[in-house]
Amino acid sequence: MERIKGKQQKGTNGRLKVKQSLDPLHQMFTFFVLMCMELQLGLALPGSDTWSRPLLKLGLYEDINVNSKKRGFDHGYLEDEFSTASFKNYEKGLVGWPPVETWRRKKLRCQVHNHMTAAENGYCGGRASNSTYVKVKVEGVVIARKIDISIHQSFETLTTTLMTMFDIFDENRRSFKLTYQDKEGDWLIAEDVPWR
Amino acid sequence: MHKKMAFSFPDEVLEHVFSFIQSDKDRNGVSMVCKSWYEIERWCRRKVFVGNCYAVSPRMVIRRFPEFRSIELKGKPHFADFNLVPDGWGGYVSPWIEEMAGAYPWLEEIRLKRMVVTDESLELIAKSFKNFKVLVLSSCEGFSTDGLAAIAASCKNLKELDLRDCEVDDLSAHWLSHFPETYTSLVSLNISCLGSDEVSFSALERLVGRCTNLKTLRLNRAVPLDKIANILRHAPQLVEFGTGTYTADVRPDVYSDLAGVFSSCKELKSLSGFWDVVPDYLPAIYPVCSKLTSLNLSYATIQSPDLIKLVSHCPNLQRLLVLDYIEDSGLEVLASSCKDLQELRVFPSDPFGAEPNVSLTEQGLVAVSLGCPKLQSVLYFCRRMSNEALVTIARNRPNFTRFRLCIIEPKTADYLTLEPLDVGFGAIVQYCKDLKRLSLSGLLTDRVFEYIGTYAKKLEMLSVAFAGDSDLGLHHVLSGCESLRKLEIRDCPFGDKALLANAAKLETMRSLWMSSCAVSFAACKLLGQKMPRLNVEVIDERGPPDSRPENCPVDKLYIYRSIAGPRFDMPPFVWTMDEDSGLRL
Repeated sequence: MERIKGKQQKGTNGRLKVKQSLDPLHQMFTFFVLMCMELQLGLALPGSDTWSRPLLKLGLYEDINVNSKKRGFDHGYLEDEFSTASFKNYEKGLVGWPPVETWRRKKLRCQVHNHMTAAENGYCGGRASNSTYVKVKVEGVVIARKIDISIHQSFETLTTTLMTMFDIFDENRRSFKLTYQDKEGDWLIAEDVPWR
Repeated sequence: MHKKMAFSFPDEVLEHVFSFIQSDKDRNGVSMVCKSWYEIERWCRRKVFVGNCYAVSPRMVIRRFPEFRSIELKGKPHFADFNLVPDGWGGYVSPWIEEMAGAYPWLEEIRLKRMVVTDESLELIAKSFKNFKVLVLSSCEGFSTDGLAAIAASCKNLKELDLRDCEVDDLSAHWLSHFPETYTSLVSLNISCLGSDEVSFSALERLVGRCTNLKTLRLNRAVPLDKIANILRHAPQLVEFGTGTYTADVRPDVYSDLAGVFSSCKELKSLSGFWDVVPDYLPAIYPVCSKLTSLNLSYATIQSPDLIKLVSHCPNLQRLLVLDYIEDSGLEVLASSCKDLQELRVFPSDPFGAEPNVSLTEQGLVAVSLGCPKLQSVLYFCRRMSNEALVTIARNRPNFTRFRLCIIEPKTADYLTLEPLDVGFGAIVQYCKDLKRLSLSGLLTDRVFEYIGTYAKKLEMLSVAFAGDSDLGLHHVLSGCESLRKLEIRDCPFGDKALLANAAKLETMRSLWMSSCAVSFAACKLLGQKMPRLNVEVIDERGPPDSRPENCPVDKLYIYRSIAGPRFDMPPFVWTMDEDSGLRL
């Protein structure tokens, strides 16, 4: 499988994560899609000796290892590709590296970067970006998807669409929880805030 | 027999002499000459500095210095700036404020760094100290604008309110209006950390207008560009100014207004702010550039050509903070234009990017080290380095006192030879004999520590990450660096042996931080037992260290000397190893 190089996406504009509780049916939802373009938009896969910060909350991969011993070969293979990238390193202790103060990072992140490429969207503060596309990741699923949030009016419709996108069956719907990442990088439960 | 000493001055005379001695180190020296000098000195010490708030208790300080007017306290370890210290670790200022509120009605100045400050504490300050003048909160958190409102409302003699790099709960921008209309003593105001999309501009303008002694004003990002002109018009006497957001639709009237008002600021020496900067508005500051000694462009996301133009207008610059957009070319211009430069900090615009986004390499630093004869303090983020460059830099600039280099990718080798950077950093410590602070990065073996232990005799603070091969590295530093006060280490293969062998050294230092290293829980316990005057704190969010085998490495270790004994405000993920550490757990 070829290494896919993508531009690092910056900013922490609303990324959604569908969190899955411990569930024996978990394995059913591990599927593997070879959609290179999708990957290019969303995930950065640098070479193994770079230490870029990953986009996705790392807990996902930890959970995969803990919960499901039986994985499809394909999925396992892709997961190893990922783990040779920066993700494992992030979990291992690249917190606080490079040593740029947290307040400086926040202030810089929230600014208009004049020369960011068009492929990158999503700055916090909303000043630069008019995009309403949001990246969604399902725990246990390797590939993330993008969804246009502006076409939805409620969590109901959003969840339904997401379930369809990731082929999650109705009866298992309840075992999933929608979470989002705010400006400070904290993961919060989506339904706790009003839709707006 | 007449045993009276030849020099037996009355206390008042000695006190008068001591009043000329301001530095803490000298005052400490004075106090150790003899008992009577100790007594006289402690009664007349007016400024107290406590580098680690847990090294001593508030009561001890108050008991020894009954009449101080100014206190400076530092809380969390430095690595807290990079999220390495979990929330809730400590550094609470309330016990200090509570003790002082009772004992010291005439306290005038409080300076805090990396401490947790609550609104209650701020309210207590406002209530208790009638002549309160200076509040400087540096990298603090835990308070909101409500606390600030209390300070504004009650401190009639407040001269300085500086909230640099704090995390403030921005509840209401109206706290500024709590400064009474009769209040005019403000000299310095730094609110650059405040978020708040609403700033009460009218309150700000009125405040600035009536405080005619205002010398420093650092605004927050919420203040738009078109409001700056009005504010500056009220304060042409400003010496230090920080803009808010420096962007607006380009309009000639706004521009000329701004340029005009900057021209009338004849005393301006320092500028900062420049968030979201639009290059078209930069020339508005050209009138003041020739007098500028300090320029902070570290949030200015503009390109090298604009930066070069700006910097070329500032021949008297002594201090520059800038993003790596300046690139090597810009640093070369800096080197030729700013011969008075003493401090340079170059921050990464894209710290997490996989590829370099700008052309900033070791060459820029070499250029500056060659061209700026007074350069003594450097913080430099880049993506490649060579031993050759470091040796050149060291030879060019032996007057460095602070050298902090961060090669963004850990364990990066010399890009020319693929060797470790031991020799390069070795040259830095060898040539720069007055080096007080050093931060290492790149691929480094134990050898670099041997150089440091051998040559860095004046080194007071060392920061190490992803370096070294074995305990020998740590041993070199602990046994060789005579002036070492603060050592912070992360992700290095240093374990028990060097630490235990140099236990006594730790009592001569303020603190040692080690995270993601190889120090075992057993060694921590042993150290805690052997060294009663050290607080050995194990910080581990994985759960109690005794739930794992004793030889398991601890996650984080913070050791500091203390005469106050173990603290009692620890969160559940911090354990102090002491004499009964076996029992305590």
